[in-house]
Amino acid sequence: MSPFLRVLENEVQIVALLFLASVYVFRILWILRFEPTRERTRPAGSKREGIAYSLLSISMPWSMEALRKKPGFYVQFLIFHLGVTAAIAATFIIPYRPELFRTKAVVLLFQIIIGAAFVVGLMRLRRRLRNPAVRLISTPDDYFSLILMILYFAAAVLAVPNRFPTAEWTLVLFFGLTAFFLVYVPFSKISHYLYYPFARYVLGKTLGHRGVFPIKEAKEETAFGPPEK
Amino acid sequence: MGRQKNEPPPALKSPLETSSQERARAANLGSVAEGRLKLYDPQADNVRKFLDLLGRKINRPLALSFAACVHCGLCAESCHYALARPDDPTMTPAYKADQIRRIFKRHKDWTGRIIPWWVHARYPRDDADLNLLKNIVFGACSACRRCTLNCPMGVDTAALVRFTRGLLTELGIVPEGIFNVNRDQWETGNQMAVTEEDYLETIAWVREELESETGIRGIEIPVDRTDCDFLYVINPREIKFDPRSLSDAARIFHLAGEKWTLPKRGWDMTNYGLFSGDDSLGAYIAENVYQAAAWLRSGRIVISECGHGYRSTRWEGYNWAGRDQTVPTESVVITLVRYLRQGRIKVDSAKNPEPVTFHDSCNIARSGDLVEEPRWVLRRVCADFREMEPHGRENFCCTGGGGLLSTPEYRSLRLEAAKIKAEQLQATGAKLVCTMCHNCVDGLADVIKHYKLNLKVVQILELVSRALASGNVQS
Ligand code: SF4
Ligand code: SF4
Repeated sequence: MSPFLRVLENEVQIVALLFLASVYVFRILWILRFEPTRERTRPAGSKREGIAYSLLSISMPWSMEALRKKPGFYVQFLIFHLGVTAAIAATFIIPYRPELFRTKAVVLLFQIIIGAAFVVGLMRLRRRLRNPAVRLISTPDDYFSLILMILYFAAAVLAVPNRFPTAEWTLVLFFGLTAFFLVYVPFSKISHYLYYPFARYVLGKTLGHRGVFPIKEAKEETAFGPPEK
Repeated sequence: MGRQKNEPPPALKSPLETSSQERARAANLGSVAEGRLKLYDPQADNVRKFLDLLGRKINRPLALSFAACVHCGLCAESCHYALARPDDPTMTPAYKADQIRRIFKRHKDWTGRIIPWWVHARYPRDDADLNLLKNIVFGACSACRRCTLNCPMGVDTAALVRFTRGLLTELGIVPEGIFNVNRDQWETGNQMAVTEEDYLETIAWVREELESETGIRGIEIPVDRTDCDFLYVINPREIKFDPRSLSDAARIFHLAGEKWTLPKRGWDMTNYGLFSGDDSLGAYIAENVYQAAAWLRSGRIVISECGHGYRSTRWEGYNWAGRDQTVPTESVVITLVRYLRQGRIKVDSAKNPEPVTFHDSCNIARSGDLVEEPRWVLRRVCADFREMEPHGRENFCCTGGGGLLSTPEYRSLRLEAAKIKAEQLQATGAKLVCTMCHNCVDGLADVIKHYKLNLKVVQILELVSRALASGNVQS
């Protein structure tokens, strides 16, 4: 392994990661600067249940009509984010547990997951370009972030075999992109995962308190009738 | 010539109409003089004022809804405007929210402040831009919250729409119909400017009619009686256009042996603060109701059938007014459930033989807590109750929500979007559509008329009143 790759895999990543973490701290402080709201009414439901339901709703695609209508969208979501997780895991495995990628089956598994995410990325890009409603709301940041992800998946597929003696450029590309990502992410739409728990938490808190979350079916009444108010 | 791509529908090009505002200024109304009712000032730097207000009024849930959208476009699947106009990308919830989100990003977000074009961040340039924003938030969204419940990120687009409405209302950049109702609520304490004399006369007339119609002697519609079990608050529509609703309630309360009262002041539970986004109006109207309950020492507050009135009085009002809730506050439907459970009224479902379906008001089902309760009542008082699809939390708006019934300039677009509701109604095969909201009554009636559906709109009190069995005597 060249000294350049060694530094790129280690020191550069750690610095970029520290940068990401410190910008995230500022992002969180920025969110917390906005006044919280205070609920003064008596509850009709449970805040705690509402928050739990809201945070877990992403694992319950049946709870959203839009996802029931478009199950393919949800499958794409799963594959894409599994790919992200696998690619991030690879950035730690390659420098710290390289022996894992000496097992061919593990490499193949990672390549399949990340490769599928790459295909989903292309499908998403096509949708963003072709669907007039999505195109209209898309910003340069949306396109750039998505293209970057697609490139990143491609680089990860090439990098996971970890063949630095024969194909070091794949690792340079992968870790170079990773470092760029870590610096760019907090300023881009990719930082949505930072907002996600906060946004779902506040929505779940309000709607849980009101008894809207967890979503109840309007169903045949039980012997006990509707809940007591 | 066909419509230009991405060009808003003609209804969304409505100019700012200010003749009512001019009259209010000339009349030097108290609410104007005290600065509560805001008027448009073409000489002012409205863009600057708008940005200042945005910075001052934004709270954490709103900031998160601004920041969290990933532009996935999934919300287009849930909005009746987007579904009814599939070729119009300007109708998706995310696009509508982006018209304010881009201002937020330019004003508050790091990336938007440094490289605005990268995230489509932009300040409004002038009052014309603010007027366009007005047309989008007041004319292309009924604030039904359907997209909110269908957003994987938890973005509350309806809340962003209401927030924007509130900022524009502060500048007087508001549809004339909304302005007029705001004015009436500020000036008279009720949205239809009903005078105290008219209010009391109508109540007396309703009581007399009810007595002669039912033959029941001694029915009362008490006003300002102290120490009652509950204070009943109503929609001014029940005084001005539809006294049947109050009459049905009075009959049922009488048969249940209830000790109740209407207040002389603070009887309007509707609240245009919800629609116009004006929290101070919202607080003022809700506070009138809460003060009436306190002054009359009522055991609880019962809200007649009204979606936004229920949401405003039961939920938002306490928060707007900064008052912790101490008095139980409930919908009249809960009161009916109690009567039926306790056997205080007896009903015979055979008296309502026609097929009935139920329309959930958005403000009750998605911003409130009542989904099963109205159905529980309907199954007891109707012989043939059938659901429409989708229903409950997923029901589509009647299309008249969010104050849209007061804005004739957006009617053509509203009725186009109502295609979804019309299809939903027709598929039930019902003859009656029941709703627990006066606003939905008018919204649905408009849809039924426009799409020539063979349906009639009724309310729960009406069906319960019709189903009252002959064995009922005052308990
Ligand atoms: S509001 Fe939600 S559903 Fe709509 S585009 Fe944004 S993230 Fe997607
Ligand atoms: S709140 Fe309702 S009308 Fe408004 S954008 Fe969302 S779904 Fe459409």
